[in-house]
Amino acid sequence: MKKLVYISFLWASFSFAQTDWQKWEAKDISYLLPAKNEQKLLTRNSSLVGTVLNSLKSVYSFTISNYDGDNCPFTPTCAVFFVESVERTNIAAGILMFADRFTRDMNFLKDTYRYSLHKNGKHFDPPSNYTLNSHQIIFEPEYND
Amino acid sequence: MTKTHIAFMSFFLLIVSIAKSQTNVQSDFFSNNNRLKFANHLYNEKDYLRALGEYKEILKLVDNDTIRFRFANSFLKVGRYDEAAQNFKTLFVSSKLQEEAKFSYYQTLFFSGDYNDFRINYDGGFYLPQKYYKVIDRLNSATYFLQQANLPGESKLIKPFDDSVQTKLIYFSQMIKNPPKKNPVTAALLSAAIPGAGKFYSGEITDGLIALGATLLSGFLAVNNFQNNHQFRGWLFTGLTAFFYGGSIYGSAASAKIYNAKLKSDLNKEIKLYFEERNYFLPKIEL
Repeated sequence: MKKLVYISFLWASFSFAQTDWQKWEAKDISYLLPAKNEQKLLTRNSSLVGTVLNSLKSVYSFTISNYDGDNCPFTPTCAVFFVESVERTNIAAGILMFADRFTRDMNFLKDTYRYSLHKNGKHFDPPSNYTLNSHQIIFEPEYND
Repeated sequence: MTKTHIAFMSFFLLIVSIAKSQTNVQSDFFSNNNRLKFANHLYNEKDYLRALGEYKEILKLVDNDTIRFRFANSFLKVGRYDEAAQNFKTLFVSSKLQEEAKFSYYQTLFFSGDYNDFRINYDGGFYLPQKYYKVIDRLNSATYFLQQANLPGESKLIKPFDDSVQTKLIYFSQMIKNPPKKNPVTAALLSAAIPGAGKFYSGEITDGLIALGATLLSGFLAVNNFQNNHQFRGWLFTGLTAFFYGGSIYGSAASAKIYNAKLKSDLNKEIKLYFEERNYFLPKIEL
């Protein structure tokens, strides 16, 4: 009986003992939120326009977006809005749509009743509403998850 | 064996007998009568999906108009409109509930959302219940309000409704026929003349002010830099002015389109809510 107790004790000690060959130290924790729509910024369009857009996005991300943080009051953000606008229409209309969005973004007295609230707490303002096609206008976001 | 033992055993036998007799009664759960009671209970509790299953079993053995009506009505309540319509049709001939069945058949067509099919039946006079003709007439008018298309004359449209609601229905009718829309071309032209004016026209006052301010400021900076011989900055702000000016014109046209879409969407919601709150002016039929 004694032997059994000793064996159990030894087994438990060896199995669950803390290791001392790993250095104990504070863990490096990152509090940065992962950018969910980072991939969406990039257009899959492989044409010249797509290449230009991807380049513009990279420059914008590197110089402004990464430092400015998640501060755009709209969803999708202005950068994503621009890329989607060009994809939906063409480069000229896309630039005009972006110019309008940029002006509305500067409006610090935003008429909040005009935009419905997305679940991420931002104003829902999709590019489909600005293609001048009434059938594409949507006022409420659709969630897939 | 003492008297106490005998008394105890007798009492025990009595208990067993009573318990056994209860079991016999309870085991008859699936008799037609009990099943009907259960189905009616489910129906009254608005548990239509489970009531359907019970009524289906009962109808295999019994043919009863009320049960068949409730069976069809359960389909209507759970949104299985095709099956509801088919089952209501079985009561159209030689049934004491044929008027109610025809009325419910029209309800089925109405709630299925196929308003064209409803009107084909109504205009053709198919299966119209005499007893509920006015109610069907109201439902027919409601289809035009809800679909917001091809509205007949106002007097014909509101005639089936009470005087108390006619004012509101006339308002809906006028809003459908002549909505106060904004013209996207006018909005664009206004912004071409004065940046942001098209946004004022579409009711976006603050957006219009920002567009005007941004265009004027960048324009001023462009002129100022050219005057001071800063060519690069002059052209930079010229580009920025064109950017804001173009965006203002395009955005004004877009905002007019959005205004019109919002107008239609809000009217649609208002009409739907108005009829929903009044249960589409339907009478309550208890069967």
